[in-house]
Amino acid sequence: MPDKRVPDELDEYLRGASALSHQYQRESAPLPPHALDRWVQNAARLQPLKAPRRSQSLAPLAFAASVLLSVALVLAMVFGPPAAKKRADDKPQVLQVRMYRTVPPRAAVTSPRERNPAAWLEDISALRHAGRNSEADIEMRRFRSAYPDYLIPNSE
Amino acid sequence: MLLTMNLLDEDAGLMLRYRDGDAAAFSTLYAEYKGPLYRYLLRHVRNAGAAADLFQEVWSRLVAARARYEPRAKFATFLFHIAHNCAMDFFRRDVNLRGEIPAQDLDSPPLEPEVPEYQRPDRLAEFVEQQSALLAAVAALPPEQREAFLLREETGLSIEEIARVTNVPVETAKSRLRYAIRKLKKSLSPLQEPEALPLRTYARQPYA
Repeated sequence: MPDKRVPDELDEYLRGASALSHQYQRESAPLPPHALDRWVQNAARLQPLKAPRRSQSLAPLAFAASVLLSVALVLAMVFGPPAAKKRADDKPQVLQVRMYRTVPPRAAVTSPRERNPAAWLEDISALRHAGRNSEADIEMRRFRSAYPDYLIPNSE
Repeated sequence: MLLTMNLLDEDAGLMLRYRDGDAAAFSTLYAEYKGPLYRYLLRHVRNAGAAADLFQEVWSRLVAARARYEPRAKFATFLFHIAHNCAMDFFRRDVNLRGEIPAQDLDSPPLEPEVPEYQRPDRLAEFVEQQSALLAAVAALPPEQREAFLLREETGLSIEEIARVTNVPVETAKSRLRYAIRKLKKSLSPLQEPEALPLRTYARQPYA
């Protein structure tokens, strides 16, 4: 549909009635070399003719995998590793003291409740053996708050 | 509207057939468009070697993209949009070309660029010498005007479609084409008054 606002000169040209256009069409019309023709035709043929199956998609599989992974992470965060069982007798456990040259590693947990009590006590003992009693006291208070019912050997 | 467009554009239908595995459909498309595409590239970049490289690149991209093809426009718009992008990439590859980007004002003279290799005076003169007066005038147009003119002449695309191919507003495409035909008329000897020429049609034109 012609745009009535188009100037006459352009309008005439767009209608195809322009001598300029007529002259251009009379110019030579070079074609690509035959070698190019062969190259393009070969390139088009070499592509697999079978179109990709549109129904196949890895998206559902990826979604399911991400859901499973998320559930596993949540369960691990909520329940954590199994807690150490209380010993039947009152004998103090022989602790294997780990001497830390640096600050003992703290588990990347979101709350004290999720830290393994046995390992936590070992860390506290290591602090005491290293002479870092103030830190050990702080950790013990945190331990007590997290595990008020945990039976701590007399050595601690 | 999309269905109507598909019914009207036979070439889009051929491309869909090629997408679905019909190699003969590609041959038909290629036979129809190889001439216009080659001439568009040749007369736009003004270098036969570069035009041949770009010609390969355009078809390669089309073949590579065929699985994702959806007829949102005429096939010619689709094909020449690829060609436009290839040409733009080619121009950008030569940093000396930055000066050829025209100023905001279309009437102002083009900036004086550092000359890229393919535009060396001797190379360009050789190309222009081989052209007629009209084609030499086309070669002398600023690139955006030259492209608008070539797209119109080689494909018959409307101004709206040319705007779509070149990623500019319709008014910009219209201005470029207007300036192009004005400059070409000025640079040529007075043209005869057109007779009652038949309306241009851009249906399939058999090329030798």
